[in-house]
Amino acid sequence: MRNGHSSAVDQTGVPVYRGSQAARGSSLVGNSSITTDSRQSLDESREHHNHGKVVYSNDNEDSGQFTKFKSRRSLPWYQSRELQVVGAITLLSLIVRLWAIDYPTSVVFDEVHFGGFASKYIRNSFFMDVHPPLAKMLIALTGWLFGLNPSFDFKEIGMDYIEPKVPYVPMRLMCGLMGVAIVPMAFYTVRNSGHSIHAATLAALLVLFENSLVTQSRLILLDSPLILFTAFTVLAWVNFHNQRNNAFSDDWFIWLFLTGVGLGLSGSVKWVGLFIIATIGTSTINQLWNLWGDLKISPRSWLNHFIARAVCLIVVPVAVYMLMFEIHFLILHNGGDGDGFMSAPFQMTLGHSLQDSPLSVAFGATVSIRHQGTKGGYLHSHVSVYETGSKQQQITLYPHKDTNNDWIIQKKDGTVPEGLEYIQHGDIIRLMHVSTNKRLHSHDHKPPMTEDENHFEVSGYGYKDFAGDANDEWRVEIVESNDEESGKFLHTLNTKFKLVHTNMNCDLFSHKVKLPKWAFEQQEVTCMRSAVLAKTTWVIESNIHANYPEDAPMVNYKKPGFLGKFLELNKVMWETNAGLVESHPYDSRPSSWPLLKRGISFWGKEQKHIYLVGNPVTWFMSTAAIVIYIAIRGLLFLRDKRGYNDDFNGLREYYELSGGFFFVAWAFHYFPFYLMDRQLFLHHYLPALYFAILLLSVTFDLACRFIPNRARLVALVLIASIAIYSFRVRAPLTYGSEWIRSECEASKVLTTWDYDCNQYPDNYAQYAANAAAKVAPIEGTTGAEEPAAIVDSFERDTDLQEQQAVSEGDGVIDAGAAGAAGAAAAAVAEQEAEDAQITDPAVSKMAQDGEIEPTFDFEVPVEDDEVSENDKNDA
Amino acid sequence: ATGSESTLRQRSTVPKHTPPTDSNTAATEDAPKKVIKSVFTSAEKTNSLIALAGLTALAIVSRFYKINEPDEVVFDEVHFGKFASYYLRGSYFFDVHPPLAKMMLAAMGYFIGYDGHFLFDNIGDKYNDNNVPYIGLRALPAFLGAMTVPLVYMTMREAGFPILTCALAAFFVIFDNMLVTQTRLILLDSMLVFFMMCSIYSYVRFYKTRNNPFSLKWWSWMIATGISIALTTSVKMVGLFTVATIGVAVIWDLWELLDIRRRLTMQQFMNHFYARAIGLILIPVVVYLFWFYVHFAILINSGPGDDFMSTEFQETLKGNTMADGIYVKYGDNITIRHKDTSVYLHSHAHNYPLRYDDGRISSAGQQVTGYSHEDPNNLWQIYSDNVENTKIGNQVKDKDVIRLLHVATSSWLLAHDVASPTMTTNEEITTYSTNEDGSRFNETTFQIILESGGDKLRTMASNFKLLHQSTKVAIWTHSQKLPDWGFEQQEVNGNKNLVQKSNLWLSDNIEGKNASEIDQESSKAVKTRSFILKFLELQGKMISHNAGLTDSHPYQSSPIEWPFLVRGISFWTENETRKQIYLIGNPLGMWIAVASLAVIIGVSGADLLSRRRGFYPLNQDVQKRFYYATGFFFIGWIFHYIPFFLMGRALFLHHYMPALVFSYMVLAAVHGFIFIEGVDGPISDPGPETRPRQLQRAIVPVIAYATGIILMAIHLGSFLFFAPLSYGTSAPSVAGLARRKFLPQWDYHFAK
Repeated sequence: MRNGHSSAVDQTGVPVYRGSQAARGSSLVGNSSITTDSRQSLDESREHHNHGKVVYSNDNEDSGQFTKFKSRRSLPWYQSRELQVVGAITLLSLIVRLWAIDYPTSVVFDEVHFGGFASKYIRNSFFMDVHPPLAKMLIALTGWLFGLNPSFDFKEIGMDYIEPKVPYVPMRLMCGLMGVAIVPMAFYTVRNSGHSIHAATLAALLVLFENSLVTQSRLILLDSPLILFTAFTVLAWVNFHNQRNNAFSDDWFIWLFLTGVGLGLSGSVKWVGLFIIATIGTSTINQLWNLWGDLKISPRSWLNHFIARAVCLIVVPVAVYMLMFEIHFLILHNGGDGDGFMSAPFQMTLGHSLQDSPLSVAFGATVSIRHQGTKGGYLHSHVSVYETGSKQQQITLYPHKDTNNDWIIQKKDGTVPEGLEYIQHGDIIRLMHVSTNKRLHSHDHKPPMTEDENHFEVSGYGYKDFAGDANDEWRVEIVESNDEESGKFLHTLNTKFKLVHTNMNCDLFSHKVKLPKWAFEQQEVTCMRSAVLAKTTWVIESNIHANYPEDAPMVNYKKPGFLGKFLELNKVMWETNAGLVESHPYDSRPSSWPLLKRGISFWGKEQKHIYLVGNPVTWFMSTAAIVIYIAIRGLLFLRDKRGYNDDFNGLREYYELSGGFFFVAWAFHYFPFYLMDRQLFLHHYLPALYFAILLLSVTFDLACRFIPNRARLVALVLIASIAIYSFRVRAPLTYGSEWIRSECEASKVLTTWDYDCNQYPDNYAQYAANAAAKVAPIEGTTGAEEPAAIVDSFERDTDLQEQQAVSEGDGVIDAGAAGAAGAAAAAVAEQEAEDAQITDPAVSKMAQDGEIEPTFDFEVPVEDDEVSENDKNDA
Repeated sequence: ATGSESTLRQRSTVPKHTPPTDSNTAATEDAPKKVIKSVFTSAEKTNSLIALAGLTALAIVSRFYKINEPDEVVFDEVHFGKFASYYLRGSYFFDVHPPLAKMMLAAMGYFIGYDGHFLFDNIGDKYNDNNVPYIGLRALPAFLGAMTVPLVYMTMREAGFPILTCALAAFFVIFDNMLVTQTRLILLDSMLVFFMMCSIYSYVRFYKTRNNPFSLKWWSWMIATGISIALTTSVKMVGLFTVATIGVAVIWDLWELLDIRRRLTMQQFMNHFYARAIGLILIPVVVYLFWFYVHFAILINSGPGDDFMSTEFQETLKGNTMADGIYVKYGDNITIRHKDTSVYLHSHAHNYPLRYDDGRISSAGQQVTGYSHEDPNNLWQIYSDNVENTKIGNQVKDKDVIRLLHVATSSWLLAHDVASPTMTTNEEITTYSTNEDGSRFNETTFQIILESGGDKLRTMASNFKLLHQSTKVAIWTHSQKLPDWGFEQQEVNGNKNLVQKSNLWLSDNIEGKNASEIDQESSKAVKTRSFILKFLELQGKMISHNAGLTDSHPYQSSPIEWPFLVRGISFWTENETRKQIYLIGNPLGMWIAVASLAVIIGVSGADLLSRRRGFYPLNQDVQKRFYYATGFFFIGWIFHYIPFFLMGRALFLHHYMPALVFSYMVLAAVHGFIFIEGVDGPISDPGPETRPRQLQRAIVPVIAYATGIILMAIHLGSFLFFAPLSYGTSAPSVAGLARRKFLPQWDYHFAK
């Protein structure tokens, strides 16, 4: 695959290091004009084996071979220009990204989740989130090392960090340092792709001074780990590709393996990590296709290539990904607010227990019946009545164990036989609710929520000693069973059955629709004609009867193994993720991202504001680089067809190959978003932006081919200065620092950027004045204290949908207290207490010009504590 | 990419294959050209005609068999029959599909003397009781459905396949249950598939004339292709998939012409390009627009579709309500109605509770809600932000800054930065009593932005947004009801998303003024509007409504299920006789078709891989036919199937119909590829510069006939087995239904 095929590496191929093409290289391609030619694989030496500090021979040597370390200029590696540049830039990025990282001193938007998850990890209590666990575990680890008290739950935006001594600075530093590491990654990715040190420096500087990346990496968020692992994967892949003439050498294997690890890590942070997998996958297929076409490579050898890649790029990432979940499960071994998302057997692994129940079910048994189609829980009733339809007693699904879930199975005539009479397929039964003596009943009334004509209300009807009527009769139809016996007889857990209402020929049914407040927002139960089977199946979970023999065979849930849990959790994550479709004030569609039409308001308080927006200079230049790339490739493609063979002395290939890889990576990180229906935000573009910046630096390198070295330096300085200036102009939005209105107005490049400049004072002196005014808070000013404006509740509302789903959905299943109504009541109480805490202090900043609405806080004693705490901190 | 392509091309051209020795006609270099005019002998042509006639007859029988049954409205006849009636009445209606097929149905109705009196309201309504000549209406789709069959046959024939292969494809199309059911009812799919096959047939004919560019024949077939794709798209928007299929083929063709080795100058190439731009873009667009022109020309009366359109559009319809619009002046008391949910902006002397159930706190100001009935509390007096303007009583103009005074409680409408009762991201809307000081003036000013209906506010005619000046939110309401404290009226709040369409309101009444008073102010005449504006508006509405059809339907299915026929659709049932029509394809035929698609992928993959390694397993002519003819049909299948995966709307099995026809063509071609040796060729018209090529003939062995007949027998058997469900003419027993339940998901009625 040498010369004949280097041309066949098309745009999906990774950039080719020039050294390999030395034979065809020209002075244009060569980087002899660059000051430092010795090219250490610094990452390699730094991160792995210090023994073989290796370097590419430079392209003036025809061999193009990989050699042991030797410096042409006889400089030791630590004196190389490259390292000095990287060191300086890294140092700079430490300052830029970590400056004042302790501000704001309270919970900011998504920290609500990721901080909260850290607390849950420390408490070992299970939760559900749509993202894989790696980054959250890293955050939790940091918190744990620095003594995060898990009772701090990051419940709401604006909660103070200082007073409860939350180690939020180390936690933010963890993310921040990962953000810092992206900068040298960018440098080496460009450098190792065979570009000049100028281009690499430009890439690093633009990544460094990118407002959006800085904003995202200064807070406890998942984006900086994601971008770091993505960048690492690409770097490893570039290094691997540089080894292609040394197939199966140690370095070849090491970089291939590290690519696989990187893929696994990226995928374990967020699922958008799949895009980098797609990128590397496409590149791999392209490599294999080229190798296949190289007739010098035997099929046997090709097979080795194939197997090596399959193992490192499929098996390794999958193993890494699964390992993360294994750790996740090991840590979260207690029940928590995520339990309700999972199936009953899964919950058994979370410290919940269920007593073994007798296998066979006889008339007269007291049973609890769990719905199979949803995770809604048990068939339930309680003393409240419907406010619609028949106004009879409510029948719902309830997720917790409770005595109100207990039903006695009676015969068709409402009696219980003396002896043991086991229930079979086709038997007609009645179900008597134990605590209220009402029977499960259905009739021709509309159910409370579902308007469909196929649905009928199900209620509890009757009283003690009431003989019942025909509308209480249900036929047991077994639909699925584990073995032959449980296909004939009703067995606990092993038999899935339908309950068919004999009079109306409808099936007992439930779905995710919630009843209104008057039914405690539990899940609706109806009787439905021609329903989908899945939502009409039920199982008996517990089964008690005084007359069962001592030695009756017992049964219990089979605890799922790791694989079962892993698959179930991933499925639930997928479904939850796909369900995030509601629109949000700050969501945006992918088409608006490359033009940076709009940012996201994150936080605002005390006339300071954090607003996620990119550095427009970098952003627009990177988009331009993409357009230029497409235009040039397209033009040359057409010219080829007309018989012009422009290769510009190899320059074309040089641009197409390295630029092509970054372009494909950009495309894979951008276009798939068009297929997603869920709500999307500007920060989803950041990985794509990283690749666009790399492409920009390649374009820069191309454009600078024709100018002398000194001028190239000037160009670099010029572009970087403009970008840095632009960064500086919008820095107050990035750091949430002081600003004034006129500067804010001037910073709006596009009119669609919707941060409100009116909130800033006219001059900086006002900040000091405001601070002074707050030293002595007088009663009544609390209202003017700008309880977080509505805008600020931003992320809480987006990603919190997940959390709300958790808390609304299913609440907490109290572990050890099997069936104790008290425990359930406690759970409900806890729930209520939680709800009360979610108080958004939307008390409003009634009037922005400082008008006071003095009535508010007096009447709400709960708020007083919080307010006074805030007072202290602000003072 | 260029690198790898050029290497590929060089490779494939290096080893010239010797022509197959089995060719029975040899045309040497010096043979006269007329010898190669056609590869087919006259006897063969006769046979082909006989086959064609036979198949066509079968097709007609299969589609028209007992077409009078059931004499009831079936499934989507509800819609398309109704639309035909609207055309005959001339009353405006709205539908997501372009007009052609519906107009054809209406034309058919017109010719058979139907006057459009029946509205096809429910599935199961009796036609005979209502005097509807439904057989005539059904005859049109049935006829076109039958005519699809000869088109399939001739397309395959023109693409160079032997009679057996063509007959096989046509036979499968005839006896597919889904194609039969769907084409013998008053539905659009029969027209769609017919025009689609016209497009494919014309394109194949056009491609065959490529050696004589710009000849009359060349132009004719190209324009025929262009018109056909336009007609296809004028039936349903999925006709765009046909456009894409043809488009890709044309682009590929142009790309080949651009190749320097074709020795075309740039000028010649551009001529090719412009010719295609005219024939395949310009003419189709004109044809497509033409049907809309006719559509607007027929539908001149106001009708059920009015509400979908803008006020300007509605003003062009006879009998529209817009003509009653009155210009609003400052100081007028008006009602303001939400466009989407039709509730009035309302307020009453009750306040928001200080604390909501979820613990959040409100401003405890006066409630502003959406109320669906007329009520004095719906009245708002409109003020300008400067009092002078209000006194003078100027007309309210676009972009004016206004204030709204709630008349009954005399308080100003106000928005402020407090979370609304149900949405923490939206602002609360309340009112502010005139008795208090004017310090909150700034929060009571709204800018009125007219989205349509001229530059002055007019009742009924103008849709507007109310944009809060100081916090930049739009007044908005949604169907969420407030709890008891809000009397279960609709929540009104301030929406940060200013571009949302549901921000629109309209004023429908001015207190104390009625239309008769203001005849001098606005004329009642029907207005005109340019065709292109009307078209653009309708097209936009069609697309957005189509995308909005996301409500789930009990019989919808996901595209991945279609080729495997996981589930059907219940079209019609009759309880007394237990008859039913259940739309389902011919299961065995469809499963064989899927297998043949897999064969295509496997063969082409293996061919690519082996060519990459320097092996050339396929004879060059066979390979070319495989990629250019079979491959083209395969691409047709891809383009008529895969895009459905990207659609968010509710999808149904019958959306697979166009793709199904392609899959049957592929099936026949794959059968030929396996059992028939060699190909007939060349089949394209020779041009002045075409080098004479040797004629070669395909050999059709007995095994090919045998397997072909077996396939047809399987297909026919399967068809007859399911025919009772497709025609709905007889009711199978419960056991019979159980036997027909190959998959548990086939949810027939009366199965118990």
